Amino acid sequence: MNGEAKNEILAKIRAGKPASQPLPDFPMYPYEGDPEKGFIDHLLGFDGRAIKFRSREDAVEWLKNQPEMEASKIIYSSVPYIEGNFGEDELADLREAQKIETCVTESEMGVGETGSVWVTDKSLRHPVCALLSRRMFVFLDRSKLKGGMHEAYASIKLGDNQYGAFYSGPSATADIEAVRITGAQGPLALTVLLYNCADAKEPPELLISPNADSSVWEKYL
Amino acid sequence: MRQVNQVKLGEEFINKREHRESHDRCLWAARMRRDTVAASIPQWEEMRALASDIRKHVLSNLDQYLEQFAKNAESNGFHVHWAKDADEHNRIILDIFKKRDVKVVTKGKSMTMDECGMREFLEKEGIEINEADLGERIQQLDDQRPSHIVMPAIHKLRSDVADIFARKLGSDRDIDDPHYLNSVMRADMRKRYVRADAGMNGVNFGIAETGGITVCTNEGNADISANLPPLFVASMGIEKILPRQSDLALFIRLLSRSALGLDITQYTSHYHGPRKGQEAHIVILDNGRSDRLSSSDYWEVLKCIRCGTCMNTCPVFRRTSGISYDATYMGPIGIVLEPSYDLYKYARLPYSCTHCGSCGDVCPVQVPIPRLILYWRDVVVKQGYGETMHNLEQAAAEPILKNSRNLMLAEKIGLWALKNLPKGLTESPLLNPWAKEHTNPEPPKETFRQYYNREIKPQIDADGEKAGENK
Repeated sequence: MNGEAKNEILAKIRAGKPASQPLPDFPMYPYEGDPEKGFIDHLLGFDGRAIKFRSREDAVEWLKNQPEMEASKIIYSSVPYIEGNFGEDELADLREAQKIETCVTESEMGVGETGSVWVTDKSLRHPVCALLSRRMFVFLDRSKLKGGMHEAYASIKLGDNQYGAFYSGPSATADIEAVRITGAQGPLALTVLLYNCADAKEPPELLISPNADSSVWEKYL
Repeated sequence: MRQVNQVKLGEEFINKREHRESHDRCLWAARMRRDTVAASIPQWEEMRALASDIRKHVLSNLDQYLEQFAKNAESNGFHVHWAKDADEHNRIILDIFKKRDVKVVTKGKSMTMDECGMREFLEKEGIEINEADLGERIQQLDDQRPSHIVMPAIHKLRSDVADIFARKLGSDRDIDDPHYLNSVMRADMRKRYVRADAGMNGVNFGIAETGGITVCTNEGNADISANLPPLFVASMGIEKILPRQSDLALFIRLLSRSALGLDITQYTSHYHGPRKGQEAHIVILDNGRSDRLSSSDYWEVLKCIRCGTCMNTCPVFRRTSGISYDATYMGPIGIVLEPSYDLYKYARLPYSCTHCGSCGDVCPVQVPIPRLILYWRDVVVKQGYGETMHNLEQAAAEPILKNSRNLMLAEKIGLWALKNLPKGLTESPLLNPWAKEHTNPEPPKETFRQYYNREIKPQIDADGEKAGENK
């Protein structure tokens, strides 16, 4: 590219930079709470929803019976165990992703400290389908929960993914008088289906934060 | 060129009582949330010190890290560009857009692009730029610069936004429910995302080890801008580098907790190259940063990670709003950054400070803002850009503070004046601008020194003698 500017900038830095200071190492500050409890509490704090299942099969069964999965809905799925009705043909033009009502995907890792799920261009296949969808359902194996952020970053290789992101609840904004609004420009809701939980209730219990209901404003859309 | 008079502009905001109170309330709430989440992490202060040390290490080896970053970013498939100044930055981007015949762009928040006046530049070239962050979009539609680096429209009331959206987007003026206003934004932006030929964003961190960039947002707009259009451009100041992937954990833990008191941003996203079929560019901007780096007094300002917590805590900022700084960067970090861009224009900003020191106490990377404020006051006066009152202050401060006899005399004169001069004189806003909003305190019976010499010193002396005897 423009090598002249590059060389000039680097030369200026070399000429003027302060004496080299050491790079400190730091401990992997462990998360002190219970990763599962932390994950659910923080996810709900970000207006996300969580539901525990004994097995992935149970989770699939539950999801199939949700109104969001009715045949009339436009459903994108990036996982083989849930069938969508909006696939590669429809996505020849990515802008079509705006039509997606329900996005089903899976996460390779959850974080107790923040309630985040780690998603990538591989797990989502088309990240834009998640970002433009109305509602997201994310499968997560309980054994893939990490405690803290240090542990989380230590267990991924960022460079392996063109896109890799921590999603923490649905999109949100507080730009007008700091009023928190669940469901800004991306999904209005994000539900994590946490499976392989030995203590899952029967029937499963949807955990939801009282102020997470985007239906209070969906009427405006 | 005119100088920015923050005091005068701030007064306009102070007089808008409803706005001022809402602004103060919102920012103080963010500061209180920050305290709560910081207190929940036992190693918080240790983490701040570490983050500061890592930033110092990066800055003192910046040339190597930039080269490493650029090399790795290129092998990830990014086109990497270097811009010496704002003009070069804008032209590089215009060239990219012209080659691809770009007409419509969606843009996420970027202080770097704001600093370059990029939007205005590209608009003049006939390119439609749509700010995709809600607060930033409100400010764009109102033709006003952002008032806060994280909450760009926080100085506005919902009724202001309802009015702007009604005029510009045809919404119902009578509904000022923020939920409704958000739905108006969402519906309008959706139409713009699908028309966009390119997406743009700022960068929170560039990771040297992996050649990737990290972008932290809440609304999802930045991720849509990056993932939908066939062309993506990110701008990054040269100082935004972190050495290792593992460093990110520390900085992500500090960033949003400091900014808004939230444990993380809803979208904490990492990009390592373009997606299949996409073209992606990173523009690395200097624009004076390498000069700042070479100043032994001032280089630590480059540690800043743009969280905005210094604004939330600043008593001056909370009451006067970011608009009153008439600058890209506002609040405590703004008053120490802007003079380095234009000393004359921003010569008065370092005086918009009460020396409470809170900005330095909350900064997640320990930028010594209070010290830098004094540094700039010194520079301003020496350059001859100081106002009469500030020049007098500075001229008087040195002989008084350097010499204990003079200080003692000044204390006595001060106390005498407070006791004996008429209020009309000591509280004259002309002679004592501080008295505009305050009355003088009740004069104490004696100076602190007199009290100390009578009550405290004999005790200390006696203790000292005792200690000596015991030896």
